[in-house]
Amino acid sequence: MSSFTEINNKIIESTIEIFTGMVMMEVSVAGEPLLEMAALKQSITGMVGLAGIHRGVLAVHFPKQVALDVTGSFLGMEVEEINADVQDAIGEIANMLGGNLKTILSDRGKDIQLSLPSTISGDEYSFTSHADVDQVILPFQAPAGVFYVEVELER
Amino acid sequence: MELEKSLINATMEVFTSMIFIEIVPEIQAEGETAAIDSNLSSLIGLAGDLKGILAIQCPSEVAMGITGAMLGMEVTELGVDVKDAIGEIANMIAGGLKEALTASCGKIELAIPTTVIGKSIRISGLSGATRVMVPFSSPLGRFGVELRFILS
Repeated sequence: MSSFTEINNKIIESTIEIFTGMVMMEVSVAGEPLLEMAALKQSITGMVGLAGIHRGVLAVHFPKQVALDVTGSFLGMEVEEINADVQDAIGEIANMLGGNLKTILSDRGKDIQLSLPSTISGDEYSFTSHADVDQVILPFQAPAGVFYVEVELER
Repeated sequence: MELEKSLINATMEVFTSMIFIEIVPEIQAEGETAAIDSNLSSLIGLAGDLKGILAIQCPSEVAMGITGAMLGMEVTELGVDVKDAIGEIANMIAGGLKEALTASCGKIELAIPTTVIGKSIRISGLSGATRVMVPFSSPLGRFGVELRFILS
């Protein structure tokens, strides 16, 4: 596995690529990686687990307004609340980011499998990792606000 | 359903051998899905021939009670100890389930547990996935163990 800085850069590249190519939305890096995620308010998180030679979790945290905007652009329809369409869209974005992370960590993604994506939503929640993981949280700017891509990998 | 039985067995095994509290799965009517108002959920991904996500859903007092029973101390805060304990329980239940299902479903690998703490947390999977949710009653209160999955 290459250094974490190199992985960060590849995650950034692949996030921008997925948003440009699949979500049809321009996003850019919004500052330095964060060390810790504050409590999420009125948000939805998409997550997917990685298993095999690298074990971990990829999560993408969207404030509600950003999630609605992203879903609208991704599915080409207007959405006004966090419903099943938003959950599916955000889960699918986590799945695509996880698919790219697989190929970043291992040649052609071999020997790494993804779990089923899922979403978590709520008025206020905090998302915490467990001991012995390397963690990176990358902030991105979308037209409707900032969202975060978080990767945790077992050491 | 065989999978529901395996999920119940794996959960009972962990609680009997590691936490030493009696838990009882609640019988649900066909088509009925219990709701647990959850303040803490620990999730772990399953990958391979069965792709899924396993989640334990607990109200705060149940999460603290289970942690106290597991660690043999009083727990009064929804903090690091609780997060680590319930995450580890999710990991162990997923491990038991993996072992039980290998013969029928094929190779399954586990991701790492993650814990979400908040108010009325909602978890959802992809709309095509099957959902099994088993509520358990215990002296500490009710909690739920949920599996969403697709077979490949």
